[in-house]
Amino acid sequence: MLASSILCGAGHAQQEGMSRAFELERRGSYAAAAEAYRQILAGQPGDVAALLGLERALLPIGRTPQILPQVRAALAASPSNPAIYGVALRAWAAAEEPDSMRAVAEQWARVAPGDENPYREWGAAALSRRDRSGAREAYTLGRERLGRTDALAGEMAQLAVADSDFVTALREWLPAVRRLPGYRVTAVATLGQAPSNLRPELLRSLDQEEDFTARRLKAELQIRWGNPLSGVRTLEPGLPADRSKAIEALRGLLDQLRSQRSREALLAQGRILEAIASRTPVPQGPRLRLDAAQAYSAAGDRDAARRMLAGLADDSSAPGSVSSGAAMTLIGVLIDEGKLDEASRRLATIRATVSAEDFADLQRRIVLGWVRAGDLARADSALAGDSTVEALALAGKIRLYRGDIPGAIERLKAAGPFAGDRAEATHRTMLLALLQPIEVDSLPELGEAMLLLEQGDSAKAASGLEKVAAGLAPEKGGAELRLLAGRLAAAAGKSGDAERLFRAAAVKEAGGAAPAAELALAQLLLDRGRQSEAVAQLEHLILTYPESALVPQARRTLDQARGAVPKT
Amino acid sequence: MKRREFLAQTGVGLVALSPPLLRLRRWGRAAPWLMIPMDDAQAEHLKAYGVTYRLLERGGRAEWLLNYRNGSFLLPSDSVTERDAALVGVTVEPMDDSQVVQIRGQIQQDNMDAVPLEKAPKVAVYAPPNAPPWDDAVTMALNYAGIKFEKVWDTEVLGAKLRLYDWLHLHHEDFTGQYSKFFLNYAGSAWLVDMVERNRATARSLGYPSVPAEKRAVAVAIAQYVQRGGFLFAMCTATETLDLALAADGVDIAAAYADGTPMDPDASARMHWNEALAFHNAQLELSPTIPVYSDIDGHQVNSPDRRQPLGSFTLFNFSAKIDPVATMLVQNHRQVIPDFYGLTTSFTRKTLKPSITVLADEPGAPWVKYIHGEHGEGTWTFFGGHDPEDPQHQIGDPPTDLSLHPHSPGYRLILNNVLFPAAKKKELKT
Repeated sequence: MLASSILCGAGHAQQEGMSRAFELERRGSYAAAAEAYRQILAGQPGDVAALLGLERALLPIGRTPQILPQVRAALAASPSNPAIYGVALRAWAAAEEPDSMRAVAEQWARVAPGDENPYREWGAAALSRRDRSGAREAYTLGRERLGRTDALAGEMAQLAVADSDFVTALREWLPAVRRLPGYRVTAVATLGQAPSNLRPELLRSLDQEEDFTARRLKAELQIRWGNPLSGVRTLEPGLPADRSKAIEALRGLLDQLRSQRSREALLAQGRILEAIASRTPVPQGPRLRLDAAQAYSAAGDRDAARRMLAGLADDSSAPGSVSSGAAMTLIGVLIDEGKLDEASRRLATIRATVSAEDFADLQRRIVLGWVRAGDLARADSALAGDSTVEALALAGKIRLYRGDIPGAIERLKAAGPFAGDRAEATHRTMLLALLQPIEVDSLPELGEAMLLLEQGDSAKAASGLEKVAAGLAPEKGGAELRLLAGRLAAAAGKSGDAERLFRAAAVKEAGGAAPAAELALAQLLLDRGRQSEAVAQLEHLILTYPESALVPQARRTLDQARGAVPKT
Repeated sequence: MKRREFLAQTGVGLVALSPPLLRLRRWGRAAPWLMIPMDDAQAEHLKAYGVTYRLLERGGRAEWLLNYRNGSFLLPSDSVTERDAALVGVTVEPMDDSQVVQIRGQIQQDNMDAVPLEKAPKVAVYAPPNAPPWDDAVTMALNYAGIKFEKVWDTEVLGAKLRLYDWLHLHHEDFTGQYSKFFLNYAGSAWLVDMVERNRATARSLGYPSVPAEKRAVAVAIAQYVQRGGFLFAMCTATETLDLALAADGVDIAAAYADGTPMDPDASARMHWNEALAFHNAQLELSPTIPVYSDIDGHQVNSPDRRQPLGSFTLFNFSAKIDPVATMLVQNHRQVIPDFYGLTTSFTRKTLKPSITVLADEPGAPWVKYIHGEHGEGTWTFFGGHDPEDPQHQIGDPPTDLSLHPHSPGYRLILNNVLFPAAKKKELKT
């Protein structure tokens, strides 16, 4: 009875001691916390929680080696506890005693034969001191003692990556991933850093392997290295029959694609989603088909998008959000294909099932479709009844394409800076800057040129703009039109035309267009490798128009031209 | 030349510079002077040094108004300087003679002084031939300000070419010849392989048995350059390793991977600190795997157990009329500046020689940041840390774009050092 109450009292004191030590540690009183943990360990040398607490408390004050007496006592009290061996290894590493690290690891290995952990922890402790050769020694010895060539393969792979030895890293990662599939993500992430000249060799090595692990690794690396469709082609033929395993592998590819927005990436995304959809039952299957359709549509593959949407838009059994989403995607595809009447008909049928915002958005896309088709009357009539600021902005553009300059300015101004996204708002501001100096009320030739630009024919648009500019004084819009024509020519690679147009726009009487034209000209000259001419042009801009808002940009370009700042 | 003589000369220079220039423009229409303010009115603090430097390069003269509006420059007005300032965006204020007289009166009364700047110093930067252009704070500052410089390396230093230059800058070179002690931890990395190969080839071609031996010879040549009257400015790990290499006369302080023999375990006790410029009584780091050289550095950035957090450092105030050299080196529009890491970030007070001047420290901390001293006829200045605008600088970080930091007070300290020899040029001739 007496003995049990003494024991009980000791246990209580032990618990109180731990609480006090934790509190001291939490408050950042590490030296005091260490002392408190030591007191507990004096009574209970094998108390792992106290030993780990002591290790935590000593680390921030740079006294990790001082734990060694407690570690020795703990090992004597509890010689088979792996946690104590881990602490011992880290302590000897901090004390920079590699021989003792090895001795502790070997002692641990004797009590846990066949276990990788003694060598793994030994290597990790060496790495914590940035001792890669010590870590390699630990892993190599572990492999030798365990008699398995795939032992500690993940650790060996990471060492190889740190040495930039990607061939060895791949050789190690393969068995590591085969044994523990969770390693795959790290394997792909680290092998993904391989320089481009090594990549073909790594892919060839993977070709020599027969199993699905290697195929999957290859597919994910191909995606990571910018060949998404090749990645899909690598994986698809070898997909396992087991549905959930196949989906898991396909989703792995999707994860790799997440940050890529190229057309090829979108196509690959469509194909993977399609493959997942085909293995997924209702209700998730139709939703995945819709996702695939949207990816195909974004990639411009309308046939594939239609194939995915077939039946989905009119499928009454599909969930409501899926069928309306499918219908909207289909309308988008129809607009892109120029089938505007059919798009309008379909839009009318889903009016009740989509939000007013989505409906108006699609309606405006149809309007824009009519504009691009050159049918301004249909565009006007399709827009009637829409009183949003986005519609006002669109109406302003239609006025412009009709050559009605004051009408265009009035509507574009009324739309203000909030209609559409930032790019649209910037474009509107650019249009206003272009039109406001023009004092002519009707300029159908300008409307035609701008409509050509909207339709994507920038070469004809540039030539049309130049013709209109010839009839306008520089300060009355002539310089602005030449500047725009010059930018179009530069974008089309016609640097000679661009230079001529920029120089024609860069006349003093052109007002704000002149410094903009000089900056554009300087940039063009820099792109053509005519450094000294560009520098002279930039200097002229800065000195001639010191009040221009473009001067800071000109100074930065000048710094870059002179090599005073890194090119970004 | 003693400091007293230097002061006498600068005073004479001030008197000599002003009247003819005043007379020249007195009846002209344009204001005869241009003030480059260096307080918060300045739009481009760093480029202001370039405008002044280029004027000197063209044979012009200027004055550095110490402590007047945070170290402004007074330049005779001419169209070339006005154009130069306008191009790079440096704020200038035209001044007439009466305004300048008023300023001189204020300078006379307060803790200020006007130091004539006479000749653009010829600048050399010690860097390996293939050093990337954006990995050295001084190179970046010089490029950004538009100050010309030439690169020198071991062959030039040991070939006595330093005589051609007034000012030499060292950055993150390891003069102990241990490749910044990255040899073991970054083994196999392409940049390290390249560094090791280049250094070994250079040592071989110059006839030295090892890289540490060759680097020590370079360190000695640099110290001799200062002894003869050169101006040395060093940052980051070049500060600490230069002194360690100088003091290691006959002591093996290099790890076995660098010279084939292990470091002398009693190296700390056997160092010849009288041969070092700034430090003494330091304890050397014996482990070849820890990228730390000694306890000279207060922050120990690459030692996880000893690493100290960054604070900020404070520039000291000096008497401009009595101590113009130190005053020039601390001209700034900020007195308290955020600290930044380097392989050597700071200098522990206990390892500083008593004769050196501390220019900036972290109050209450056992280390200082910015120090200066004399050696023979020349001077040296050590500034801890790697890049004032990239406090955590890691290998592979993107380069600092100084156009995003045109007012950087840390970079201003670097440029103070570049112009400082322009003021002391006469001293070199004695």
